[in-house]
Amino acid sequence: MFATLLQKELKSILLSPKFPATFAVCAGLLILSISIGIHEYQVTTRQYETATQMVTQELREQAHWSGVNNRTYRKPDPMQIFVSGVSNDIGRWSGVSQFEPVKLRHSAYSDDAIFAIFRFIDFGFIVQVILSLFAFLFTYDAINGERESGTLALTFSHPIPRTTYLLAKIAGSWLGLVIPLLLPVTVGVLLLVLFRIPFEASHWMKLGGLLGVSMLYFSFFVTLGVCISSLTRRSNVSFLLCLVAWVFLILIVPRVGVIIAGQAVPVPTVAEIEAQQDAYSKDKNEQHMKSMEAKFRDREALMSGMTKEQREQYENDHMWSWMEENDADQKQITKDIEAQGVKLQEDLRNRKALQERLAFSLSRFSPASAYQLAVMSIAGTDITLKSRYEDGLRSYRTILNAFTEKKQKETGDVGGIRITMDSEKGMSISAPKENGTLDLTDMPQFAPPANASVMPVTDIGILVFAILAAFGGAIAGFLRYDMRS
Amino acid sequence: MEQTPATQPMIEALGLTKRYEDETLALDNVSFAVRTGQIYAMLGGNGAGKTTTINIFLNFIDPTAGEARIDGIVTHKEPLKAKAKVAYVSENVMLYPNFTAIQNLDYFARLGGKTSYTKNDYHDVLRRVGLEDEAHTKRLRSYSKGMRQKCGIAIAILKDAPAILLDEPTSGLDPKAGFEFLGLLTSLRDEGKAILMSTHDIFRAKEIADMVGIMNAGKLVMQRTQSSLAGENLEELYLQFMAGSVERAA
Ligand SMILES: Nc1ncnc2c1ncn2[C@@H]1O[C@H](COP(=O)(O)OP(=O)(O)O)[C@@H](O)[C@H]1O
Ligand SMILES: [Mg+2]
Repeated sequence: MFATLLQKELKSILLSPKFPATFAVCAGLLILSISIGIHEYQVTTRQYETATQMVTQELREQAHWSGVNNRTYRKPDPMQIFVSGVSNDIGRWSGVSQFEPVKLRHSAYSDDAIFAIFRFIDFGFIVQVILSLFAFLFTYDAINGERESGTLALTFSHPIPRTTYLLAKIAGSWLGLVIPLLLPVTVGVLLLVLFRIPFEASHWMKLGGLLGVSMLYFSFFVTLGVCISSLTRRSNVSFLLCLVAWVFLILIVPRVGVIIAGQAVPVPTVAEIEAQQDAYSKDKNEQHMKSMEAKFRDREALMSGMTKEQREQYENDHMWSWMEENDADQKQITKDIEAQGVKLQEDLRNRKALQERLAFSLSRFSPASAYQLAVMSIAGTDITLKSRYEDGLRSYRTILNAFTEKKQKETGDVGGIRITMDSEKGMSISAPKENGTLDLTDMPQFAPPANASVMPVTDIGILVFAILAAFGGAIAGFLRYDMRS
Repeated sequence: MEQTPATQPMIEALGLTKRYEDETLALDNVSFAVRTGQIYAMLGGNGAGKTTTINIFLNFIDPTAGEARIDGIVTHKEPLKAKAKVAYVSENVMLYPNFTAIQNLDYFARLGGKTSYTKNDYHDVLRRVGLEDEAHTKRLRSYSKGMRQKCGIAIAILKDAPAILLDEPTSGLDPKAGFEFLGLLTSLRDEGKAILMSTHDIFRAKEIADMVGIMNAGKLVMQRTQSSLAGENLEELYLQFMAGSVERAA
């Protein structure tokens, strides 16, 4: 019974005129996006390799350990072929030296702004936006369309349990769309092999995870389409409802989540933080000036009755302790200001994290966001990529600085340094290229942070819950569905 | 009508009453019985309650009171069991337009639990209902209403159920097709099917029915066997009952 129903669903999808059109669009887009992704990956990998070599070369040509100014590039990850995530938004390299803090600069989008406008159409995007639309397109009239065309009554003059029929409808639409999509995905996988993309076992597992989560996501839209269809009598009504649901789930909820979070947890801008910091240090310095003035007046008052000799004597006796006192005050102020800076940065980070968490929680009301977050964390191109990298770079900086200091002591060279300011490249500090080449053999190398691909349990849970809810709605609608035309 | 307890009716309505949600009383205490090898013609104008009756037999709607039974099975209590024993042809048979006649037949035969039919069986039954061979492999979208009705009866034949329900199956057919259709029904009756057909075609009803019931405003206002109708003017009777001038139900 189920097999018969399922077969019929598959057959009618394959025979329907909308099938070749949607299949062509999906297959074309998927293959195109994977090809472009592979190309981009190869280009960035080449860039990465050349740049890394150049840095090593430059290092070698430096004469003194004191001038060592390493620069570390972010290594492209082949998973970005499928889910680019934030990998194009965050900087591609950072200086690592004693003189500047770690900061990733020059994102792909800042270099090629045109891509920022159109974003990158990757596998995740195609599934999230286009396949969900197609899922609706194939299911919005699954039930009410059969009623309208009069076949539902004839079908249910046969002894068919309603749940069996509903399950077959869902499974049929699902398979009818998934099987043809396996084709372009297979082609994409072949392209990976053909172009020798360094896919290790862990990458294949992640790709499997991506496909699995994509299927969950896709199942949700198929089930929701059938649900909407079994809750309405007319297919033009369900079409409209599906469209509204799609716009709402894909375009509105994720953005509204971010907007609400932005309102609820305001995060100060960099300028605001700087202004606060400036105000604080100005305040501190003013306080210091005032206390200095007060002290000066006190001393003057004390010395007012003294003769010139007494005065000189007194000043000589106390000058040192006054200076020390002032010095200590100054140091304290600098320390306070620094501490305040750290505190402000920490506040900023905490608020940002809070805002992020709230935005994610709110937008997760849409399975589309849950899906997006899930695939990004599987691919390791999620929002934590930047901080993971910068954390890794900071610890590397500590190690590297310790190493260069040690080398400086060993070789006893201090060397002159040259500071160049460049609007393009920022500030760079280097030692004059004199004689020797540095022996870099035991210099610590930066190890890119392990692609911390996390199993997105919450998001998978949300997707499963959404599927069950849609299925429950479909069952509830269909069990009391009026089969009459 | 004598009823021997040994042979229970295949199709039976017992005090069938249906009041729709909007308070329309579509059926008011209707009772009748159709035995195997019988054709029962349910006559009545628009809104008499014919379709409502058939829909209760198919469990598309529940009765407000009374029971509809197929081979003794109460349709709203055990719908799946009842549906296994009944084939249905609607007023306007609708099939899958992207499928050929053969594909449609195969699908519905399987839904009816018949999995052993061959291509030849499908061709045979399509020929039997009067569809030319070249139409068998055409998609249904190119079919006329008459061809679809024929396909519908072919599906009913393939289901090989002891009871057949037809809701105005000849409405909209040309006279020749209608005549052929009734010939088919007679042959099915002779094979031992119990057939309940709603119609407003008095002449044809008289011609082939073993039993004629006249419905008006949800009531079964007259019921006669074919033999008792011999010599009577059914058209006149029908008009009388429809006008409500005879206040009695059979
Ligand atoms: N779904 C419904 N809701 C309310 N009233 C209905 C519904 N279906 C039919 N009726 C009413 O029930 C009565 C009988 O209808 P029907 O059984 O379709 O008659 P027939 O098939 O003999 O033309 C009519 O008055 C009709 O308007
Ligand atoms: Mg009717």
